[in-house]
Amino acid sequence: MVGLLKISFKHSTSHEVFPRIILGILAIFLVILLAQAVIKAVQSKKPLIQVSGKHFFIDHYDKLKLFGTFVLLILYALAMPRIGFVISGIIFISLFHLLYAGRKDVKSIAFSIGLSVVETYAIWFVFGQLLEVTLP
Amino acid sequence: MIEFGILHLVMALLGVVIGIIFGSLPGMTATMAVAIFLPITYAYDLTTSLYLLLGLYVGGISGGLIPAILINIPGTPASITTGFDGHPMAKRGEAVRALRIGITSSFFGGIISLVVLALFTPVLAKLAIKFGAVEKFLIILFAMTVIASLSRGAMTKGVFAGFLGVFVSLMGIYNGNQTIRLLPEVFKTPLREGFQLLPVLIGLFAFAQMIETAEAGMKNSIFNKDLLAGEESRKFSFKDFKGNTINVFRSGMIGTFLGILPGVGGSAASLMSYSQCKSWSKNPDKLGTGEPEGLIASESANNGLTGGALVPLLSLGIPGDSTTAVLIGAFILQGIQVGPLFISKNPDIWYTILFALLLTNILMFVSMFYPVKFLANIIKLPYSKLYPAIIILCFVGAFSARSGNMVDVWTMLLFGFVGYIFNKIGLPMTTFLIGFILGRDLEKYFMDSLKGSAGELSVFFSRPIGNGIWVLIVIFLAYALYDNRKHNKQVKAAASKA
Repeated sequence: MVGLLKISFKHSTSHEVFPRIILGILAIFLVILLAQAVIKAVQSKKPLIQVSGKHFFIDHYDKLKLFGTFVLLILYALAMPRIGFVISGIIFISLFHLLYAGRKDVKSIAFSIGLSVVETYAIWFVFGQLLEVTLP
Repeated sequence: MIEFGILHLVMALLGVVIGIIFGSLPGMTATMAVAIFLPITYAYDLTTSLYLLLGLYVGGISGGLIPAILINIPGTPASITTGFDGHPMAKRGEAVRALRIGITSSFFGGIISLVVLALFTPVLAKLAIKFGAVEKFLIILFAMTVIASLSRGAMTKGVFAGFLGVFVSLMGIYNGNQTIRLLPEVFKTPLREGFQLLPVLIGLFAFAQMIETAEAGMKNSIFNKDLLAGEESRKFSFKDFKGNTINVFRSGMIGTFLGILPGVGGSAASLMSYSQCKSWSKNPDKLGTGEPEGLIASESANNGLTGGALVPLLSLGIPGDSTTAVLIGAFILQGIQVGPLFISKNPDIWYTILFALLLTNILMFVSMFYPVKFLANIIKLPYSKLYPAIIILCFVGAFSARSGNMVDVWTMLLFGFVGYIFNKIGLPMTTFLIGFILGRDLEKYFMDSLKGSAGELSVFFSRPIGNGIWVLIVIFLAYALYDNRKHNKQVKAAASKA
């Protein structure tokens, strides 16, 4: 009995012991989750994978704002270390303001840029200068 | 002994006010506020930071009552039942009265939980000092069982997310033999230390929500101004609490004790307290039509959560809810270990935390109770103007987490996306996060136990306190299975009726 409940490991492979156990547990739960889905599908007499009628996105989702957010976030992260905190901040924060406000007239563009300049400088001043936090 | 000065007062007030704003905007939560403002704490010491962060926490939980009462949308999950009675009251011209009853109940709930925190934590910590590696391993396992047992109807998903969190935390270097593991070759250098807590937190709790708000078009809920405009049909008076003493006490205690159980959020506290209120009420049929009783139950319970969730954090090092999970980041940043030795090693910080919690509750009360008509304006703050500022704050936070590291910015973006997907497929983020925070400790205690016993697994059953924890684990698992089944039956019954 005692011999059965033993895990032997060497120092050089000790980093593998615990992750393997966790992977095992994850695999078991994945099987249970799948089984639950199959049982549910059989009981309700619906196909297991039903594409139509089920949507990943919410109804009438805002395509521009959703994908715009993804694209701008990635571009902002790429630009920040290359062109510096203040310039990248002003450019991308005004783009975010424009994207979320959803208006394209001159007045709101000017407003967005103005607001982003103020915000970027305020954060640059408070964090970078007052609090001496490292900024790109 | 207690550190307190003008700066601390200013920080606490700032925290409370910003917290109330975050709490009042549906979708923005106390957890998000604490995650975003955590980076500011780099520049200050721990106690100053704690005034700010506890202010954000208390304000964030309390602010949720404003939209719940005025537009019947809970501002945070913790105020999910506040609108049941609060909104009908507002509709019949008692908006100010409802808000003031809610604010006062929140204050009472906060104070009850503070008393429990002060009395209970040292006792629990004393017990936990005797824990060896085996008990420490089992107590984390127990925490994860509790999480699972309370994710009603989604138990398997909850456990899966928890262990996934553990797995993700293991990526990077293993301190036992200095080997980098579970990472493809390209990421071995940048992610040598694994994913950092702070960018993971900001990603999961700020960016995921922002992406969802963007998907919905960044629209604000519409607020009907008439609710606060006309003559009040009934004014608030402290007599409204007459006959509700037991209710306040019971709800505050329910909130506090649910807070102590790891991973149980404010929504559970609010729901359970409301249903208890209903079963003890003299006229249960009236609940839901605008009875102060129900409003009191919901709001005392969710503020009870604040002190409760700090109990396991400060005595065992296990966060009681998602906000305290973020709070753990503040302690880590300052190099202070939370766990059984925390109080005896840092008595000054401990008393400062108690004082700060008292102060923030008082500040919350004052800054919400008197300018009550002004509070409605917060709901009108446009998301489209707030989020760009939040984005830049998050970038600064992630970047400066380890004084200037783009890897952490990318981690934040990655986990923002992960959190968004999690919400879509119904995996709970809180469980994932608690697994992520506790994963490395879980491994350490497991391996230490095994080393002590030369690999014998029987070591986990060899200690009396350990066996006591096993009994608790079994009880909770049994309860979980029973509750899960009952819940599924109810859902099925409801479905067949419809």
